[in-house]
Amino acid sequence: MKELIYDRHIAERFTLLAIAASALLSFAACKKLVAVDPPVTSITGENVYSSDATAISTLTALYTDMSLKDNHFNNGFPMISLYAGLSADELTLFDLSNATALAYYRNALTTNPPTGVETWSSCYPYIFICNSAIEALTKANALTPAVTQQLLGEARFMRAFFYFYLVNLYGDVPLPLTTDYKVNSLLPRTPASAVYAQVISDLRSAEDLLSADYLNGSLQKYASSEERVRPTKWAAAALLARAYLYTGKYDSAELAATSVINNTSLFSLTTLGNVFLKNSREAIWQLQPVTSGTTNTQDAYLFILPPSGPGPVNFVYLSDTLVNSFEPGDQRKSAWVGSDTVGGNVYHYAYKYKVNASNVPQSEYLMMFRLAEQYLIRAEARANQNNISGAQDDLNAVRARAGLPGTAATDKSGLLAGILHERQVELFTELGHRWLDLKRTGNIDAVMTIAAGKKDGSWSSDWQWYPIPLNEMLKDPNLTQNRGY
Amino acid sequence: MRLTAILLLAGFLQVTARTAAQTVTYSAREIPLVRAFSIIEKQTGYVFFYDEADLQGAKPVSIRWKNTPLAEALDSLLAGQSLAWQINGKIIAIARKQIATEVGRSAIPAGDIRGRVVDSTGSPIAGASVLVKGTQRGAATDAKGEFVIKGVEGGVTLVVTYTGYEPRQYKYSGQTGVTILLERSTSPLDQIQVIAYGTTTQRFSTGNISTVKSEDIEKQPVDNPLLALEGRVPGLFITQANGLPGAGVTVRVEGQNSISGGNDPLYVVDGVPYPSQLLTTTYGAPLGNSGGPVIGGVGSPGGNPLNYINPSDIESMEVLKDADATAIYGSRAANGAILITTKKGKAGQTKIDVNMQNGWGRVTKMLNLLNTQQYLQMRNEAKANDNSTIAASDYDLNGAWDTTRYTDWQKELIGGTAQYADIQSSVSGGTANTNFLVGAGYHRETTVSPGDFADKKGELHFNLNSASANQKFKLQLSGSYMVDNNRLPGNDLTPTAIRLAPNAPALRNKDGSLNWAPTSTGTSTWSNPLAGLNKYYQNKTYNLFSNAVVSYQVLRGLEIKSSFGYTNMQVNEFTPNPLSAVKPESRATATRSAIFVNNLSNSWIAEPQLHYNAVIRRGRLDVLLGTTIQQNNSNGQNMAGLGFLSDAVMQDIRSASSVQVNSSLNAVYRYNAAFGRINCVWEDKYIIDLTGRRDGSSRFGSVNQFHDFGSVGLGWIFSQEEWIRKNLRFLSFGKLKGSYGTTGNDQIGDYQFMDLYSAIGNVGNPYQGTVALLPNGIPNPYLQWEETRKWQVGANIGVCKDFLTIAIDYDHNRSSNELLPYSLPVITGFGNVTENFPATVENTSWEFSVLARAVRAGNFAWSSSINVTIPQNKLIDFPNLASSASASVLVIGQPVSILKAFHSLGVDPTTGKFEFSDKTGKTTFGPDYSSDRTVLINTLPKFYGGFENSFSYKGFYLDVLFQFVSQLGPRYFYNNNAGAGQFNGGLGNQPVSVLNRWQKPGDIAPIEKFSQNTTLNSAVFNERSSDYGYSDASYIRLKNLSLSWRFPDRLIRKAKMQYCQLYLHGQNLVTITNFKGLDPENRSTVSLPLLRILTIGVRIGI
Repeated sequence: MKELIYDRHIAERFTLLAIAASALLSFAACKKLVAVDPPVTSITGENVYSSDATAISTLTALYTDMSLKDNHFNNGFPMISLYAGLSADELTLFDLSNATALAYYRNALTTNPPTGVETWSSCYPYIFICNSAIEALTKANALTPAVTQQLLGEARFMRAFFYFYLVNLYGDVPLPLTTDYKVNSLLPRTPASAVYAQVISDLRSAEDLLSADYLNGSLQKYASSEERVRPTKWAAAALLARAYLYTGKYDSAELAATSVINNTSLFSLTTLGNVFLKNSREAIWQLQPVTSGTTNTQDAYLFILPPSGPGPVNFVYLSDTLVNSFEPGDQRKSAWVGSDTVGGNVYHYAYKYKVNASNVPQSEYLMMFRLAEQYLIRAEARANQNNISGAQDDLNAVRARAGLPGTAATDKSGLLAGILHERQVELFTELGHRWLDLKRTGNIDAVMTIAAGKKDGSWSSDWQWYPIPLNEMLKDPNLTQNRGY
Repeated sequence: MRLTAILLLAGFLQVTARTAAQTVTYSAREIPLVRAFSIIEKQTGYVFFYDEADLQGAKPVSIRWKNTPLAEALDSLLAGQSLAWQINGKIIAIARKQIATEVGRSAIPAGDIRGRVVDSTGSPIAGASVLVKGTQRGAATDAKGEFVIKGVEGGVTLVVTYTGYEPRQYKYSGQTGVTILLERSTSPLDQIQVIAYGTTTQRFSTGNISTVKSEDIEKQPVDNPLLALEGRVPGLFITQANGLPGAGVTVRVEGQNSISGGNDPLYVVDGVPYPSQLLTTTYGAPLGNSGGPVIGGVGSPGGNPLNYINPSDIESMEVLKDADATAIYGSRAANGAILITTKKGKAGQTKIDVNMQNGWGRVTKMLNLLNTQQYLQMRNEAKANDNSTIAASDYDLNGAWDTTRYTDWQKELIGGTAQYADIQSSVSGGTANTNFLVGAGYHRETTVSPGDFADKKGELHFNLNSASANQKFKLQLSGSYMVDNNRLPGNDLTPTAIRLAPNAPALRNKDGSLNWAPTSTGTSTWSNPLAGLNKYYQNKTYNLFSNAVVSYQVLRGLEIKSSFGYTNMQVNEFTPNPLSAVKPESRATATRSAIFVNNLSNSWIAEPQLHYNAVIRRGRLDVLLGTTIQQNNSNGQNMAGLGFLSDAVMQDIRSASSVQVNSSLNAVYRYNAAFGRINCVWEDKYIIDLTGRRDGSSRFGSVNQFHDFGSVGLGWIFSQEEWIRKNLRFLSFGKLKGSYGTTGNDQIGDYQFMDLYSAIGNVGNPYQGTVALLPNGIPNPYLQWEETRKWQVGANIGVCKDFLTIAIDYDHNRSSNELLPYSLPVITGFGNVTENFPATVENTSWEFSVLARAVRAGNFAWSSSINVTIPQNKLIDFPNLASSASASVLVIGQPVSILKAFHSLGVDPTTGKFEFSDKTGKTTFGPDYSSDRTVLINTLPKFYGGFENSFSYKGFYLDVLFQFVSQLGPRYFYNNNAGAGQFNGGLGNQPVSVLNRWQKPGDIAPIEKFSQNTTLNSAVFNERSSDYGYSDASYIRLKNLSLSWRFPDRLIRKAKMQYCQLYLHGQNLVTITNFKGLDPENRSTVSLPLLRILTIGVRIGI
């Protein structure tokens, strides 16, 4: 009997426990309690492409980021001017303790420690942004059609732009065209010809899509003080001309270059002192500097030597090869080359950009494409098509601006040699033109064998291709290494 | 009125109260009650306090006490009187029984046993079990410690047990009310262990739990409480990043479960979860990281959040390891849990404790480096080997620097003495119903580098406990607030100290200004390390921590309870880059800049719970049910100000000409769960423990937001079996236990499942004046928990009345569904994506610990303990490893931290270059990193542990803790930066080991020829990535030494103090190792080694 009472108490207690427990559990396992909104610092992918302003900002991000990483601390894309310049016969390295620069300079890139990876690792993330923009924009229907069209054009142009440099520096490269990381992480290298085919197809499409006018940050025509910092139809044509030239499609190259050159309402060859100013009439596309503190180009900050001469910060100067290659009377030597005399040594430096002081108004933008190159492209395309006089005209247009007489070359080979030389002195320290020219014209072994001696290095033809980054090969087992590494 | 009087008197009377036995011996017949009171006062030192009016009509008493506990004596005096007693500190208050109690008691029919269970201070013990021996009758005590067992006549024996107390058999002879006193057990098996939502003891636990008490924490001069656990807890491996105050601390409980997700344990301070890592916007560079995961491509921040908890506030730290102990924490405890319990007020006289110590720290080790002569010889030999001439930038050789100069840069830059000062004080006291503790502390620690650097901490801590008169309602409130101001060099000077050319110029000119050693044209030939100190790092952290627990006993055995917690941590960091740190010639074009970090993270948590305990037949039942609602908010900005006009105004961001935001963070984390536990102990012999939890977290996609976790634990105390007791008399305790269960890991950072875009940081001048949005990463909406299945078996043995206690555990943890920031080639656009990957990682460990209680010989006593852990980590499965991005770092069947290395063939005697074996065994000079790394190097410890001995003689007390680890580490034979012979911007010095180099054909030497050649330098990198690049880094370290002397009682009493103790504490005093780098503990060859700290101090109680 007593046992029974005892047990009943227990039973009562358990009932109470069960009631309290169910009350307690009503709090638990509730979806509302674990739902969160996106952080206020971010916006979701869906929303980005649902309004014009945010959609535009994704492409603006490309230009911003490229511009932001325009210094050798961030090793961003524009550093190609430095690194490819060191690889070629343009620049001399003063500070031999700069290991990254030294590896490029001596053409002694290694896979361990990894060197030569800078362009690779800056281009592919940008290509992802292009791919994701293309995917989203082809689906987006909430945007103004003109905005969608311009952005698609920009994305295709930029994708072509990055692949152009990748294929020129690394040879065959993987060619991701979607954002699917499962597929992309296992891509093998695509033959260079197929990469070029993609570059040209993107550019032709971009040429159709992009605006013929320069647009502002809202993709509207400028009401006043136009800036040339977003790619246009003309930028696409300019890169297209270059891509055709590099692939030997001379007639197409000539056509594309002509379309830019003939647009005299926008473009003309200005005086040497004005070429690199912001929004100069020679500019087809420029990057606006975005870093605070140093409000003008980082190229000026890197290349212009202080009176004390080169040191750990300004660690390169122009090579004697380049300085000596200016013809007598070439005004570019005085307009675009500076010099320092320190302890009896004369150091020449690139002086295309002239403002390296901090906290001064912006007067120079980083040049990505300019008209003079189009003249030289057309000259080369015409020479290759045996249009000797046409080629001479174009070459002379550039020479005349430099205060030089017309070319003495009268045949194709003479002209091609003249054009290569002209490109050397016109386009030095601009996004690696010299290095790319030496490779595509087949002059690299002859030139670099001599240059390597001056650099205390050695030369092998294999080294015209930078190594595929080892880390990438470790993660993507389908990648193969270039010869010689 | 009466209570006030007691409280007022308390402070006065306690001073005179003597420590005295709490038993009484006396016999007398029919003496007045007050006479009996005075006998007790004389024998015990307790003081009676009562109202004369209450004692009117008190009956005379007869006494037969022989070593009778005080509580029983009081019961016998007041039996049959209408009086009740209560002890508050040293005061015994006598008052009239309350009417309600009388009514309550009279309602109970005769023949029932009723009584109460109290501890030695007279405080009631709630939840104790009272069983009638030989029957299945029993009851549990309520909040007032009272129990009733119905329908039992006199002449039985009651068996009273309660966690942490000696079990007691009480002969019940039929009196109407009994008070049974339980003494706290002295066996280590009965020390209270804090567990999730409750307490237990080693005796009745089925889990794998280790406890470190305040006595051990206080012995160690450390600023982070985690460092006090080193060498003391089996299964716990702790690494301090460097020797700076506030340095990062990496904690691993039973190994690395997650391949690259978070591996931090869950920290719970007084029931409130505490962060294991600081926010990712934290800069913290000099502090070194705490082994956090790399989230979204951002490196883990410097420092450790536990650094902002005062070790002196801690009563105990519990390390929970197996599923039984941790499954109730569900998704957060796959990596174990560390519970921190702060000190609480105790009933008793108000007392003041003061502890002051002062000390000195120096680095534990300096390297043996080349002197100037050897250095120049190396440089010249390299030039000769390379057929190269001395260049304009070779300042060490070309005459720019004095080639006869020699400076010991280690002595100069890290050879100073750090000052250590620590003052802690507290006031505590109270009555049985209300008690309090208020503490304050100050701590200051400087560094070994030149300059005015120090870490200063001030802290306030309080705790308040209160209970209603009937003990049914209870409130506990605690909080602490710490302000830390840490100012350190912006960069660790150690790498400079060990690499700077020994003939580098003097730090200062004769006039005291910094020496830049300019060339004739004004180019500085070096970066003066002292100028680097102008780039300092300042961290101000404000940490508020508070919690409250409210409980109410609804019915006997049923308690409704809720805990609430709020934490708020604010971190402000400032790192200037002033022009004074820049070479003079570059100042014209350089810009002053400064990094400002402002982080705020706060969290709140509410955990309503039901606790039920009962005695059912011969068993004790404990049931817990609860729910958790938690939210964490994190806000952070990492900003830079640029273009300051002067070095003096850089702390003010308004003085910057432009401001840019480098990164910002705004995250909300929500967490919701239901949990429960059923624990049953049958006949003190069989134990079953079931736990479960259903967890929901905002870190996962909507598809997988909830998950269930659970465990079962079983224990068998075989020493309670009659046949064991009879046959194995030496065995005082024996238990076999085992558990199995699941836990999870959600340490992946917030919003990983969302496709998010954020504005680019660092932009000072927006492109076209508009904001730019970049994608954060590749989103994965299917993210879910990483799961760890754990099983554990173990035994606890006590020999000779628990003189020797032995614990053996074998733990086996398997983690699957690994949350990986799955490494991707950058051709995908990002370096990684967070994924659940069907990989499996196994951690097993054998853990042994033996504790010997004091052996006494006269005034001398010696006790000893040792613990050893043998861990093993293994990658069990990783589908398609060969074709995955992890192919180069992981090997199935090997630890996840395995390193692949080249096989070194040493230096070719003909050419003087390092040679390696390729994958086919052929000799090669340029091995292929992707295919020729054929040797596996395991740097996990083979075993580790600690060995502690304590000696005491009269007032002297000596405690010595050795920590030992058997492991491999990087061999230090080059300076970790470049090959021997190079001169990188002034940094070219090497350890003397490079002298053993190849010089001419035919030489057999371990070091290749000196050279500046890049390919030979590449070979040095390869040699360091080879099997020769690793060597033994085992060590035995005298981790802690504590010597103290307690003033004799006689002097203490004269000085009206409670105690006074002088002491000497030392940390990292002696290290025995073959490791050639700086410190074998963090196996670092380039960061500031841990400091050897020695302090002297005094501890006073008033």
